[in-house]
Amino acid sequence: MAELQKIKEAIMGGKREEVSRLVQAALTAGDSPVEILEGGMIPAMREIGDKFSRNEVYVPQMLIAARAMQAGLALVEPVLAQTGHQPLGKLCIGTVKGDLHDIGKNLVAIMLKGAGYEVVDLGVNCDINKYEEGIKQGANVVVCSALLTTTMPYMKDVVEHFKSKGVKVIIGGAPVTQNYADQIGADGYSEDANGAVKLVDRLLGKTA
Amino acid sequence: MKTINPIVSPWKSSMTARERFNRQMHFQPVDRCFNMEFGYWEENFTEWDIFRDNNICNNDEADIFFSFDKIKSIGGATFMHPAFESRIVEEREDVNVIMNGDGLLAEVPKKGDGSSIPHYLKSSIVTPEDWKRCKEEKFRLDDPARKLDIEKLKKAHPDDRDYPLGVNAGSMIGRIRDVLTFEGLAYAICDYPDMVEDMVETTCQLVEYSLDQLLPHFKFDYACGWEDICFKNGPIVTPDFFEYIIMPRYKRINKKLKAHGIDIWYTDCDGDVRPILKYFLEGGINCLFPFEVMGCAHPGELLDKYQGELRIMGGFDKIQLGNGRESIKKYMESLAPYVERGGYIPFCDHRCPPNVTTADYLYYLELKQNMFGMESTIYKHK
Repeated sequence: MAELQKIKEAIMGGKREEVSRLVQAALTAGDSPVEILEGGMIPAMREIGDKFSRNEVYVPQMLIAARAMQAGLALVEPVLAQTGHQPLGKLCIGTVKGDLHDIGKNLVAIMLKGAGYEVVDLGVNCDINKYEEGIKQGANVVVCSALLTTTMPYMKDVVEHFKSKGVKVIIGGAPVTQNYADQIGADGYSEDANGAVKLVDRLLGKTA
Repeated sequence: MKTINPIVSPWKSSMTARERFNRQMHFQPVDRCFNMEFGYWEENFTEWDIFRDNNICNNDEADIFFSFDKIKSIGGATFMHPAFESRIVEEREDVNVIMNGDGLLAEVPKKGDGSSIPHYLKSSIVTPEDWKRCKEEKFRLDDPARKLDIEKLKKAHPDDRDYPLGVNAGSMIGRIRDVLTFEGLAYAICDYPDMVEDMVETTCQLVEYSLDQLLPHFKFDYACGWEDICFKNGPIVTPDFFEYIIMPRYKRINKKLKAHGIDIWYTDCDGDVRPILKYFLEGGINCLFPFEVMGCAHPGELLDKYQGELRIMGGFDKIQLGNGRESIKKYMESLAPYVERGGYIPFCDHRCPPNVTTADYLYYLELKQNMFGMESTIYKHK
Protein backbone atom coordinates (compact mmCIF):
# COMPACT_ATOMS: atom_id res chain seq x y z
CA MET A 1 0.00 0.00 0.00
CA ALA A 2 1.53 3.27 -1.17
CA GLU A 3 0.19 5.18 1.85
CA LEU A 4 2.11 2.96 4.25
CA GLN A 5 5.34 3.87 2.50
CA LYS A 6 4.43 7.55 2.77
CA ILE A 7 3.66 7.17 6.49
CA LYS A 8 6.98 5.40 6.99
CA GLU A 9 8.90 8.13 5.16
CA ALA A 10 7.10 10.89 7.03
CA ILE A 11 7.96 9.32 10.39
CA MET A 12 11.58 8.82 9.42
CA GLY A 13 11.73 12.46 8.32
CA GLY A 14 10.24 13.61 11.60
CA LYS A 15 7.26 15.26 9.85
CA ARG A 16 4.68 14.91 12.56
CA GLU A 17 1.94 16.99 10.93
CA GLU A 18 2.24 14.96 7.76
CA VAL A 19 2.16 11.75 9.78
CA SER A 20 -1.06 12.88 11.49
CA ARG A 21 -2.62 13.78 8.16
CA LEU A 22 -1.63 10.52 6.46
CA VAL A 23 -2.63 8.29 9.36
CA GLN A 24 -5.97 10.05 9.76
CA ALA A 25 -6.61 9.74 6.03
CA ALA A 26 -5.77 6.03 6.11
CA LEU A 27 -8.06 5.41 9.07
CA THR A 28 -10.87 7.41 7.48
CA ALA A 29 -10.46 5.37 4.32
CA GLY A 30 -11.04 2.26 6.42
CA ASP A 31 -7.52 0.91 6.41
CA SER A 32 -6.68 -1.54 9.18
CA PRO A 33 -5.00 0.20 12.14
CA VAL A 34 -2.90 -2.92 12.67
CA GLU A 35 -1.66 -2.67 9.11
CA ILE A 36 -0.92 1.06 9.50
CA LEU A 37 1.03 0.34 12.67
CA GLU A 38 2.85 -2.80 11.59
CA GLY A 39 3.21 -1.97 7.92
CA GLY A 40 4.20 1.68 8.15
CA MET A 41 4.88 3.04 11.58
CA ILE A 42 6.87 0.30 13.31
CA PRO A 43 9.06 -0.37 10.24
CA ALA A 44 9.89 3.36 10.20
CA MET A 45 11.20 3.30 13.76
CA ARG A 46 13.05 0.03 13.23
CA GLU A 47 14.71 1.40 10.11
CA ILE A 48 15.72 4.65 11.77
CA GLY A 49 17.10 2.59 14.66
CA ASP A 50 19.19 0.55 12.24
CA LYS A 51 20.44 3.73 10.58
CA PHE A 52 21.37 5.06 14.04
CA SER A 53 23.38 1.91 14.71
CA ARG A 54 25.22 2.43 11.43
CA ASN A 55 25.90 6.13 12.29
CA GLU A 56 23.79 7.20 9.33
CA VAL A 57 21.50 9.24 11.58
CA TYR A 58 22.06 10.72 15.04
CA VAL A 59 20.04 11.13 18.19
CA PRO A 60 18.22 14.35 17.12
CA GLN A 61 16.84 12.59 14.06
CA MET A 62 15.71 9.67 16.24
CA LEU A 63 14.01 12.07 18.63
CA ILE A 64 12.08 13.91 15.95
CA ALA A 65 11.14 10.62 14.27
CA ALA A 66 9.87 9.36 17.63
CA ARG A 67 7.87 12.56 18.06
CA ALA A 68 6.30 12.03 14.65
CA MET A 69 5.59 8.41 15.57
CA GLN A 70 3.81 9.62 18.70
CA ALA A 71 1.61 11.87 16.57
CA GLY A 72 0.56 8.82 14.56
CA LEU A 73 0.13 6.61 17.61
CA ALA A 74 -2.20 9.14 19.19
CA LEU A 75 -4.59 8.48 16.32
CA VAL A 76 -4.02 4.74 15.89
CA GLU A 77 -4.00 3.57 19.49
CA PRO A 78 -7.65 4.38 20.36
CA VAL A 79 -8.77 2.43 17.27
CA LEU A 80 -6.35 -0.40 18.03
CA ALA A 81 -7.70 -0.69 21.56
CA GLN A 82 -11.12 -1.56 20.12
CA THR A 83 -9.66 -4.41 18.03
CA GLY A 84 -7.98 -6.18 20.96
CA HIS A 85 -4.58 -5.85 19.29
CA GLN A 86 -1.72 -6.92 21.55
CA PRO A 87 1.75 -5.38 21.66
CA LEU A 88 4.82 -7.54 21.04
CA GLY A 89 5.46 -7.62 24.78
CA LYS A 90 5.48 -5.45 27.86
CA LEU A 91 8.57 -4.08 29.61
CA CYS A 92 9.31 -1.74 32.45
CA ILE A 93 12.23 0.66 32.31
CA GLY A 94 13.87 2.95 34.84
CA THR A 95 17.12 4.62 35.85
CA VAL A 96 18.51 2.94 38.96
CA LYS A 97 18.36 4.23 42.52
CA GLY A 98 20.51 7.28 43.21
CA ASP A 99 20.66 8.25 39.53
CA LEU A 100 18.48 10.99 38.03
CA HIS A 101 19.75 10.74 34.46
CA ASP A 102 17.03 9.94 32.00
CA ILE A 103 18.20 10.77 28.50
CA GLY A 104 19.53 7.28 27.69
CA LYS A 105 16.58 5.65 29.41
CA ASN A 106 14.15 7.82 27.42
CA LEU A 107 15.82 6.95 24.14
CA VAL A 108 15.58 3.23 24.86
CA ALA A 109 11.92 3.60 25.86
CA ILE A 110 11.18 5.56 22.69
CA MET A 111 12.79 2.92 20.48
CA LEU A 112 11.08 0.02 22.26
CA LYS A 113 7.69 1.70 21.92
CA GLY A 114 8.43 2.46 18.30
CA ALA A 115 9.29 -1.19 17.73
CA GLY A 116 5.88 -2.34 18.94
CA TYR A 117 6.46 -3.01 22.65
CA GLU A 118 4.42 -1.60 25.51
CA VAL A 119 6.70 0.22 27.90
CA VAL A 120 6.00 1.08 31.53
CA ASP A 121 8.29 4.04 32.17
CA LEU A 122 9.15 4.03 35.87
CA GLY A 123 11.22 7.21 35.62
CA VAL A 124 14.45 7.87 37.47
CA ASN A 125 15.87 6.94 40.89
CA CYS A 126 14.17 3.50 40.84
CA ASP A 127 14.66 1.14 43.74
CA ILE A 128 13.65 -2.53 43.63
CA ASN A 129 10.13 -1.74 44.84
CA LYS A 130 9.63 0.57 41.90
CA TYR A 131 10.76 -2.10 39.43
CA GLU A 132 8.38 -4.49 41.20
CA GLU A 133 5.55 -2.06 40.43
CA GLY A 134 6.41 -2.45 36.75
CA ILE A 135 6.19 -6.24 37.03
CA LYS A 136 2.82 -5.93 38.79
CA GLN A 137 1.64 -3.93 35.79
CA GLY A 138 2.42 -6.93 33.58
CA ALA A 139 5.97 -6.31 32.39
CA ASN A 140 8.00 -9.41 31.46
CA VAL A 141 11.37 -7.71 31.34
CA VAL A 142 13.09 -5.11 33.55
CA VAL A 143 15.27 -2.60 31.71
CA CYS A 144 17.81 -0.80 33.96
CA SER A 145 19.77 2.30 33.04
CA ALA A 146 22.64 4.07 34.86
CA LEU A 147 24.94 6.91 33.92
CA LEU A 148 27.21 6.96 36.94
CA THR A 149 29.91 4.53 38.01
CA THR A 150 28.66 5.00 41.55
CA THR A 151 25.03 4.06 40.81
CA MET A 152 25.81 1.21 38.41
CA PRO A 153 26.43 -1.31 41.26
CA TYR A 154 22.72 -1.11 42.18
CA MET A 155 22.03 -3.02 38.96
CA LYS A 156 23.51 -6.08 40.65
CA ASP A 157 20.90 -5.82 43.44
CA VAL A 158 18.13 -5.60 40.84
CA VAL A 159 19.48 -8.59 38.91
CA GLU A 160 19.79 -10.70 42.07
CA HIS A 161 16.32 -9.74 43.25
CA PHE A 162 14.59 -10.70 40.02
CA LYS A 163 16.71 -13.78 39.26
CA SER A 164 14.88 -15.84 41.88
CA LYS A 165 11.55 -14.68 40.42
CA GLY A 166 12.38 -15.67 36.86
CA VAL A 167 12.12 -12.08 35.56
CA LYS A 168 14.68 -11.09 32.96
CA VAL A 169 16.77 -7.98 33.63
CA ILE A 170 18.71 -6.15 30.93
CA ILE A 171 21.06 -3.24 31.51
CA GLY A 172 22.70 -0.32 29.74
CA GLY A 173 24.19 3.15 30.21
CA ALA A 174 27.43 5.02 29.66
CA PRO A 175 29.67 3.15 32.14
CA VAL A 176 28.02 -0.25 31.59
CA THR A 177 29.73 -2.92 29.50
CA GLN A 178 28.98 -6.46 28.34
CA ASN A 179 31.69 -7.56 30.73
CA TYR A 180 29.90 -5.91 33.64
CA ALA A 181 26.58 -7.43 32.57
CA ASP A 182 28.19 -10.89 32.53
CA GLN A 183 29.81 -10.24 35.89
CA ILE A 184 26.51 -9.44 37.64
CA GLY A 185 24.53 -12.09 35.78
CA ALA A 186 22.25 -9.74 33.83
CA ASP A 187 20.20 -11.31 31.05
CA GLY A 188 21.52 -8.88 28.50
CA TYR A 189 23.33 -5.65 27.72
CA SER A 190 23.06 -3.21 24.87
CA GLU A 191 25.33 -0.34 24.05
CA ASP A 192 22.64 1.71 22.34
CA ALA A 193 18.87 2.16 22.06
CA ASN A 194 18.51 0.25 18.83
CA GLY A 195 20.56 -2.63 20.22
CA ALA A 196 18.15 -2.75 23.15
CA VAL A 197 15.28 -3.40 20.73
CA LYS A 198 17.18 -6.29 19.10
CA LEU A 199 18.08 -7.65 22.53
CA VAL A 200 14.45 -7.62 23.68
CA ASP A 201 13.39 -9.23 20.37
CA ARG A 202 15.82 -12.06 21.07
CA LEU A 203 14.89 -12.42 24.74
CA LEU A 204 11.15 -12.57 24.01
CA GLY A 205 11.54 -14.63 20.84
CA LYS A 206 10.07 -11.94 18.60
CA THR A 207 11.16 -11.39 15.04
CA ALA A 208 11.45 -7.87 13.74
CA MET B 1 44.23 32.22 54.38
CA LYS B 2 44.04 28.46 54.87
CA THR B 3 47.36 26.62 55.14
CA ILE B 4 47.62 23.48 53.08
CA ASN B 5 50.44 21.04 53.72
CA PRO B 6 51.08 19.08 50.52
CA ILE B 7 51.04 15.33 50.92
CA VAL B 8 53.68 14.95 48.20
CA SER B 9 56.50 17.16 46.92
CA PRO B 10 56.28 18.80 43.51
CA TRP B 11 57.82 16.67 40.77
CA LYS B 12 61.44 17.52 40.08
CA SER B 13 61.78 19.88 37.16
CA SER B 14 64.13 22.04 35.16
CA MET B 15 61.48 24.11 33.36
CA THR B 16 58.65 26.32 34.53
CA ALA B 17 55.15 24.92 34.27
CA ARG B 18 54.42 27.46 31.55
CA GLU B 19 57.43 26.49 29.47
CA ARG B 20 56.68 22.79 29.97
CA PHE B 21 53.02 23.15 28.99
CA ASN B 22 53.80 25.10 25.86
CA ARG B 23 56.56 22.75 24.76
CA GLN B 24 54.58 19.61 25.53
CA MET B 25 51.54 20.85 23.62
CA HIS B 26 53.76 21.67 20.64
CA PHE B 27 55.40 18.22 20.57
CA GLN B 28 58.76 19.63 21.69
CA PRO B 29 61.21 18.10 24.21
CA VAL B 30 60.36 18.74 27.88
CA ASP B 31 61.96 18.10 31.26
CA ARG B 32 59.00 15.94 32.25
CA CYS B 33 55.27 15.58 31.71
CA PHE B 34 52.93 18.36 32.86
CA ASN B 35 51.45 17.14 36.14
CA MET B 36 47.77 17.93 36.63
CA GLU B 37 44.39 16.40 37.39
CA PHE B 38 40.86 17.59 36.60
CA GLY B 39 39.56 17.21 40.15
CA TYR B 40 37.24 15.09 42.29
CA TRP B 41 33.57 14.50 43.01
CA GLU B 42 32.10 16.33 45.98
CA GLU B 43 31.88 13.03 47.90
CA ASN B 44 35.63 12.50 47.68
CA PHE B 45 36.10 15.45 50.02
CA THR B 46 34.05 13.77 52.71
CA GLU B 47 34.77 10.11 51.96
CA TRP B 48 38.52 10.08 51.23
CA ASP B 49 40.45 10.00 54.50
CA ILE B 50 43.39 11.95 53.04
CA PHE B 51 41.06 14.83 52.22
CA ARG B 52 39.01 14.59 55.40
CA ASP B 53 42.00 14.30 57.73
CA ASN B 54 43.80 17.19 56.07
CA ASN B 55 40.76 19.46 55.74
CA ILE B 56 40.95 19.52 51.94
CA CYS B 57 37.54 20.77 50.84
CA ASN B 58 37.64 21.56 47.12
CA ASN B 59 39.54 21.02 43.89
CA ASP B 60 41.71 24.14 44.20
CA GLU B 61 42.91 22.96 47.59
CA ALA B 62 43.44 19.44 46.24
CA ASP B 63 45.68 20.83 43.48
CA ILE B 64 47.95 22.35 46.14
CA PHE B 65 47.71 19.26 48.35
CA PHE B 66 49.02 17.04 45.54
CA SER B 67 51.55 19.67 44.35
CA PHE B 68 50.23 19.70 40.80
CA ASP B 69 51.61 22.08 38.20
CA LYS B 70 49.68 25.34 38.20
CA ILE B 71 47.43 26.12 35.24
CA LYS B 72 44.82 28.88 35.14
CA SER B 73 42.33 30.49 32.80
CA ILE B 74 40.34 33.71 32.71
CA GLY B 75 37.39 34.98 30.73
CA GLY B 76 34.37 37.21 30.58
CA ALA B 77 30.62 36.72 30.76
CA THR B 78 30.10 34.94 27.47
CA PHE B 79 26.54 33.72 27.85
CA MET B 80 23.32 34.57 29.63
CA HIS B 81 23.46 37.45 32.12
CA PRO B 82 21.78 37.95 34.47
CA ALA B 83 20.80 34.35 35.14
CA PHE B 84 17.24 33.39 35.94
CA GLU B 85 16.48 33.57 39.64
CA SER B 86 17.20 30.16 41.19
CA ARG B 87 14.45 29.04 43.53
CA ILE B 88 12.64 26.01 44.89
CA VAL B 89 9.30 25.77 43.14
CA GLU B 90 8.01 22.67 44.95
CA GLU B 91 9.23 20.33 47.68
CA ARG B 92 8.51 16.62 47.17
CA GLU B 93 9.41 13.56 49.25
CA ASP B 94 12.93 12.86 47.93
CA VAL B 95 13.37 15.70 45.48
CA ASN B 96 12.89 19.41 45.15
CA VAL B 97 11.53 20.90 41.95
CA ILE B 98 13.64 23.94 41.25
CA MET B 99 13.93 26.68 38.69
CA ASN B 100 17.64 26.91 37.96
CA GLY B 101 19.75 29.78 36.69
CA ASP B 102 19.24 28.64 33.09
CA GLY B 103 15.49 28.95 33.48
CA LEU B 104 14.89 25.22 33.59
CA LEU B 105 12.41 23.50 35.83
CA ALA B 106 14.28 20.52 37.23
CA GLU B 107 14.11 17.84 39.89
CA VAL B 108 17.13 17.59 42.18
CA PRO B 109 17.59 15.11 45.03
CA LYS B 110 17.18 16.53 48.51
CA LYS B 111 20.26 14.62 49.61
CA GLY B 112 22.42 16.44 47.09
CA ASP B 113 25.67 14.72 46.21
CA GLY B 114 26.59 17.25 43.55
CA SER B 115 27.47 14.55 41.05
CA SER B 116 24.12 13.97 39.42
CA ILE B 117 22.84 16.11 36.58
CA PRO B 118 19.38 17.42 37.54
CA HIS B 119 16.33 15.78 36.00
CA TYR B 120 15.10 18.52 33.68
CA LEU B 121 11.38 18.96 33.21
CA LYS B 122 10.84 22.11 31.15
CA SER B 123 12.76 24.94 29.49
CA SER B 124 11.88 28.63 29.63
CA ILE B 125 12.78 28.91 25.93
CA VAL B 126 10.73 26.87 23.48
CA THR B 127 9.52 29.28 20.79
CA PRO B 128 11.14 32.21 18.94
CA GLU B 129 9.00 34.55 21.08
CA ASP B 130 10.53 33.06 24.26
CA TRP B 131 13.99 33.53 22.79
CA LYS B 132 13.33 37.10 21.68
CA ARG B 133 12.24 38.02 25.19
CA CYS B 134 15.18 36.29 26.82
CA LYS B 135 17.69 37.72 24.34
CA GLU B 136 16.58 41.28 24.97
CA GLU B 137 16.84 40.82 28.69
CA LYS B 138 19.77 38.47 29.25
CA PHE B 139 22.00 38.47 26.16
CA ARG B 140 22.76 42.17 25.82
CA LEU B 141 26.23 43.07 24.57
CA ASP B 142 25.99 46.39 26.41
CA ASP B 143 25.35 44.76 29.80
CA PRO B 144 27.92 46.42 32.13
CA ALA B 145 28.66 43.00 33.63
CA ARG B 146 30.32 42.06 30.35
CA LYS B 147 32.92 44.78 30.76
CA LEU B 148 36.11 43.30 32.17
CA ASP B 149 38.45 44.85 34.72
CA ILE B 150 41.63 44.33 32.73
CA GLU B 151 43.97 45.95 35.26
CA LYS B 152 42.76 43.71 38.05
CA LEU B 153 43.20 40.64 35.85
CA LYS B 154 46.68 41.74 34.78
CA LYS B 155 47.68 42.16 38.38
CA ALA B 156 46.47 38.66 39.14
CA HIS B 157 48.19 37.17 36.09
CA PRO B 158 51.32 39.17 35.20
CA ASP B 159 53.14 38.64 31.91
CA ASP B 160 56.14 37.12 33.65
CA ARG B 161 54.09 34.40 35.32
CA ASP B 162 55.57 30.91 35.41
CA TYR B 163 52.33 29.01 34.75
CA PRO B 164 50.17 28.64 31.63
CA LEU B 165 47.22 31.00 31.39
CA GLY B 166 44.25 30.29 29.16
CA VAL B 167 41.49 32.50 27.79
CA ASN B 168 37.90 31.34 27.85
CA ALA B 169 36.64 30.90 24.28
CA GLY B 170 33.14 30.03 25.42
CA SER B 171 30.61 27.51 24.29
CA MET B 172 28.88 27.74 20.93
CA ILE B 173 26.21 25.10 21.52
CA GLY B 174 26.72 23.37 24.89
CA ARG B 175 25.28 26.20 26.94
CA ILE B 176 22.41 26.56 24.47
CA ARG B 177 21.72 22.85 24.99
CA ASP B 178 21.72 23.54 28.75
CA VAL B 179 19.06 26.18 28.30
CA LEU B 180 16.88 24.27 25.82
CA THR B 181 17.44 20.75 27.26
CA PHE B 182 18.72 17.76 25.31
CA GLU B 183 15.38 16.97 23.68
CA GLY B 184 14.42 20.63 23.41
CA LEU B 185 17.50 21.37 21.31
CA ALA B 186 16.68 18.54 18.88
CA TYR B 187 13.09 19.76 18.51
CA ALA B 188 14.16 23.41 18.22
CA ILE B 189 16.61 22.63 15.41
CA CYS B 190 13.76 20.89 13.57
CA ASP B 191 10.97 23.38 14.37
CA TYR B 192 12.82 26.70 14.64
CA PRO B 193 16.21 26.44 12.91
CA ASP B 194 16.53 30.21 12.53
CA MET B 195 16.01 30.69 16.25
CA VAL B 196 18.76 28.19 17.10
CA GLU B 197 21.16 29.78 14.62
CA ASP B 198 20.43 33.19 16.14
CA MET B 199 21.18 31.76 19.59
CA VAL B 200 24.52 30.47 18.31
CA GLU B 201 25.32 33.77 16.58
CA THR B 202 24.41 35.78 19.69
CA THR B 203 26.64 33.56 21.81
CA CYS B 204 29.49 33.93 19.33
CA GLN B 205 29.22 37.72 19.49
CA LEU B 206 29.39 37.63 23.29
CA VAL B 207 32.54 35.47 23.13
CA GLU B 208 34.08 37.81 20.56
CA TYR B 209 33.30 40.81 22.76
CA SER B 210 35.07 39.17 25.68
CA LEU B 211 38.06 38.17 23.55
CA ASP B 212 38.37 41.68 22.08
CA GLN B 213 38.76 43.05 25.59
CA LEU B 214 41.24 40.42 26.80
CA LEU B 215 43.47 39.43 23.91
CA PRO B 216 45.37 42.72 23.45
CA HIS B 217 46.44 42.76 27.11
CA PHE B 218 47.72 39.24 27.80
CA LYS B 219 50.10 36.71 26.35
CA PHE B 220 47.85 33.70 26.67
CA ASP B 221 49.21 30.19 26.39
CA TYR B 222 46.00 28.54 25.28
CA ALA B 223 42.27 28.96 24.81
CA CYS B 224 39.64 26.80 26.45
CA GLY B 225 35.97 26.12 25.99
CA TRP B 226 33.19 23.81 26.94
CA GLU B 227 30.60 22.02 24.85
CA ASP B 228 29.66 18.60 26.28
CA ILE B 229 27.66 18.07 23.12
CA CYS B 230 28.34 14.38 22.63
CA PHE B 231 27.34 11.29 24.55
CA LYS B 232 28.17 7.63 24.35
CA ASN B 233 26.53 7.17 20.94
CA GLY B 234 27.81 10.32 19.27
CA PRO B 235 26.88 13.98 19.02
CA ILE B 236 23.52 15.26 20.20
CA VAL B 237 23.34 17.59 17.22
CA THR B 238 23.90 16.29 13.71
CA PRO B 239 27.33 16.59 12.07
CA ASP B 240 25.67 18.74 9.38
CA PHE B 241 24.49 21.21 12.02
CA PHE B 242 27.99 21.27 13.41
CA GLU B 243 29.54 21.85 10.01
CA TYR B 244 27.23 24.63 8.84
CA ILE B 245 26.19 26.39 12.04
CA ILE B 246 28.86 25.82 14.69
CA MET B 247 32.15 25.42 12.87
CA PRO B 248 32.01 28.76 10.99
CA ARG B 249 31.69 30.51 14.36
CA TYR B 250 34.66 28.56 15.71
CA LYS B 251 36.59 29.83 12.68
CA ARG B 252 35.71 33.40 13.53
CA ILE B 253 36.93 32.96 17.09
CA ASN B 254 40.03 31.11 15.94
CA LYS B 255 40.96 34.02 13.67
CA LYS B 256 41.07 36.28 16.72
CA LEU B 257 43.03 33.75 18.76
CA LYS B 258 45.58 33.18 16.00
CA ALA B 259 46.03 36.93 15.55
CA HIS B 260 47.23 36.99 19.15
CA GLY B 261 49.50 33.96 18.88
CA ILE B 262 47.18 31.40 20.50
CA ASP B 263 47.40 28.11 18.64
CA ILE B 264 46.27 25.67 21.34
CA TRP B 265 42.52 25.54 21.93
CA TYR B 266 40.88 22.83 23.95
CA THR B 267 37.23 22.15 24.47
CA ASP B 268 35.64 20.08 27.18
CA CYS B 269 33.45 17.66 25.28
CA ASP B 270 32.70 14.27 26.75
CA GLY B 271 31.27 11.38 24.77
CA ASP B 272 31.96 10.12 21.29
CA VAL B 273 33.32 13.19 19.49
CA ARG B 274 34.57 11.25 16.47
CA PRO B 275 31.73 12.19 14.07
CA ILE B 276 32.37 15.93 14.63
CA LEU B 277 36.09 15.93 15.40
CA LYS B 278 37.04 17.04 11.89
CA TYR B 279 34.86 20.13 12.36
CA PHE B 280 36.49 20.88 15.70
CA LEU B 281 39.87 20.70 14.00
CA GLU B 282 38.78 22.71 10.97
CA GLY B 283 37.32 25.36 13.27
CA GLY B 284 40.57 25.61 15.25
CA ILE B 285 39.88 23.42 18.29
CA ASN B 286 42.89 21.13 18.39
CA CYS B 287 42.79 19.66 21.89
CA LEU B 288 40.22 17.53 23.72
CA PHE B 289 39.69 17.71 27.47
CA PRO B 290 39.15 15.69 29.71
CA PHE B 291 38.47 13.01 27.12
CA GLU B 292 36.27 10.38 28.72
CA VAL B 293 37.44 7.00 27.48
CA MET B 294 34.27 4.98 28.05
CA GLY B 295 32.21 7.38 25.99
CA CYS B 296 34.66 7.48 23.11
CA ALA B 297 37.90 5.55 22.70
CA HIS B 298 41.42 5.08 24.04
CA PRO B 299 43.13 8.44 23.54
CA GLY B 300 45.79 6.70 21.46
CA GLU B 301 43.22 5.89 18.76
CA LEU B 302 42.57 9.57 18.07
CA LEU B 303 46.15 10.72 18.68
CA ASP B 304 47.34 8.17 16.11
CA LYS B 305 44.68 9.11 13.59
CA TYR B 306 45.33 12.85 13.90
CA GLN B 307 49.02 12.69 14.73
CA GLY B 308 50.67 16.09 14.96
CA GLU B 309 47.32 17.86 14.71
CA LEU B 310 45.29 16.80 17.74
CA ARG B 311 46.25 17.06 21.43
CA ILE B 312 44.50 15.43 24.36
CA MET B 313 44.43 16.34 28.04
CA GLY B 314 42.96 13.62 30.28
CA GLY B 315 42.04 10.22 28.94
CA PHE B 316 43.02 8.04 31.91
CA ASP B 317 40.00 5.72 32.10
CA LYS B 318 38.34 6.20 35.51
CA ILE B 319 36.96 2.65 35.28
CA GLN B 320 40.53 1.31 35.27
CA LEU B 321 41.39 3.67 38.10
CA GLY B 322 38.66 2.01 40.15
CA ASN B 323 39.71 -1.51 39.19
CA GLY B 324 42.86 -1.68 41.32
CA ARG B 325 46.60 -1.50 40.85
CA GLU B 326 47.06 -4.09 38.13
CA SER B 327 44.52 -2.31 35.90
CA ILE B 328 46.01 1.10 36.72
CA LYS B 329 49.50 -0.03 35.75
CA LYS B 330 48.37 -1.72 32.56
CA TYR B 331 46.40 1.33 31.46
CA MET B 332 49.21 3.76 32.38
CA GLU B 333 51.59 1.69 30.25
CA SER B 334 49.21 1.97 27.31
CA LEU B 335 49.53 5.79 27.53
CA ALA B 336 53.34 5.94 27.66
CA PRO B 337 53.97 6.16 23.88
CA TYR B 338 51.63 9.15 23.63
CA VAL B 339 53.19 11.00 26.56
CA GLU B 340 56.57 10.40 24.95
CA ARG B 341 55.38 11.69 21.58
CA GLY B 342 54.05 14.95 23.08
CA GLY B 343 50.72 16.68 22.74
CA TYR B 344 49.26 14.48 25.46
CA ILE B 345 48.86 15.16 29.19
CA PRO B 346 47.41 12.17 31.07
CA PHE B 347 44.97 12.53 33.95
CA CYS B 348 41.72 10.96 35.10
CA ASP B 349 39.20 11.31 32.31
CA HIS B 350 36.85 13.49 34.35
CA ARG B 351 36.47 14.27 38.03
CA CYS B 352 37.81 11.26 39.93
CA PRO B 353 34.87 9.38 41.50
CA PRO B 354 34.79 8.22 45.12
CA ASN B 355 34.75 4.50 44.26
CA VAL B 356 38.52 4.86 43.64
CA THR B 357 40.26 4.10 46.92
CA THR B 358 42.70 6.64 48.32
CA ALA B 359 45.42 3.99 48.39
CA ASP B 360 44.90 3.23 44.70
CA TYR B 361 44.76 6.92 43.87
CA LEU B 362 48.06 7.58 45.62
CA TYR B 363 49.51 4.56 43.80
CA TYR B 364 48.25 6.05 40.51
CA LEU B 365 49.90 9.42 41.23
CA GLU B 366 53.17 7.77 42.24
CA LEU B 367 53.15 5.54 39.17
CA LYS B 368 52.49 8.56 36.96
CA GLN B 369 55.47 10.32 38.48
CA ASN B 370 57.70 7.27 38.08
CA MET B 371 56.69 6.80 34.46
CA PHE B 372 56.43 10.42 33.30
CA GLY B 373 58.48 12.45 35.84
CA MET B 374 62.07 13.70 35.51
CA GLU B 375 63.42 10.26 36.34
CA SER B 376 61.50 8.61 33.52
CA THR B 377 63.51 6.90 30.79
CA ILE B 378 61.21 8.39 28.14
CA TYR B 379 62.91 11.78 28.45
CA LYS B 380 66.14 12.34 26.61
CA HIS B 381 67.95 14.15 29.42
CA LYS B 382 68.19 10.86 31.33
